Amino acid sequence: MNCNEALLLISAAVDGELSFTEKQQFLLHISKCEGCYGEFDDAQRTKMIIKERVVRFKAPQTLINSIMQLTSLSPKETF
Amino acid sequence: MDKPDPAQQRINMQTHELLSPAEHKKQIEFQNEAVVHLHALYNYALHITMNPDDAEDLVQDTYLKAYRFFNSFERGTNCKAWLFKILKNNYINIFRKNSKEPGKVDYDLIKDFYHSIKDTRRDTTEADSDYFHTMLHEEVYQALLSLPEEFREVIQLCDIEGFTYEEIANMVDSPIGTVRSRLFRGRKLLRAQLEGYARTNGFTTDTDQ
Ligand SMILES: [Zn+2]
Repeated sequence: MNCNEALLLISAAVDGELSFTEKQQFLLHISKCEGCYGEFDDAQRTKMIIKERVVRFKAPQTLINSIMQLTSLSPKETF
Repeated sequence: MDKPDPAQQRINMQTHELLSPAEHKKQIEFQNEAVVHLHALYNYALHITMNPDDAEDLVQDTYLKAYRFFNSFERGTNCKAWLFKILKNNYINIFRKNSKEPGKVDYDLIKDFYHSIKDTRRDTTEADSDYFHTMLHEEVYQALLSLPEEFREVIQLCDIEGFTYEEIANMVDSPIGTVRSRLFRGRKLLRAQLEGYARTNGFTTDTDQ
């Protein structure tokens, strides 16, 4: 595997989307290539930051109520 | 939205009793499979519309459609992904294709929200000297907002919502290879933004070249 091939696999490696063989070859490459290892590490950390830092908003109670109501009417009544 | 009206609730109770066993079963299954993703759908709707009223409308409409077509949901597949796909189509139909002017983008609301929670969740990795681990929620969110939509979208679906590449590819109507490369480029752009903030705030990082 060369650097171009490795770079194409970085996001899939970060997201656990590589096949078994791809993963083996990718890990072998980044164990020897500092540049690609750096790219991989950056991408992985960026993903963690997004996961940890972006706040998830909760649905307001009014919306919860109306969805619950929507699905506790018979379809004939609702539509 | 209106408060539940007692008269209406009585009617609901009555119709509930009149439901056929099949409809009753559908309801229960819908609650367990679909309604449990309400918060995730609302959160995503809010992030794409940036307006609470539009987000509520979008989610309402999504659940109406989902309930109506619940029989076409392939059992055993990811219901959350199915709902997101409906939501996305709704969004395109309602806001892109002509019919509705989107509501005013409410940046202030989002900003205020981030201000009100700042620091409260900065508890995990404080010992770590890496500035990125102590980045404020608001800065990260601003960086995300600065990305072109096609990159922001896949990052949200992957990193925030946890969908697989196959599910994302289906939602954005693109091949998996496109999802892969958008994620790669999107994260690089995001990283550059965050490094910009870090420098502005007087931090230098090991990873700077
Ligand atoms: Zn390399």
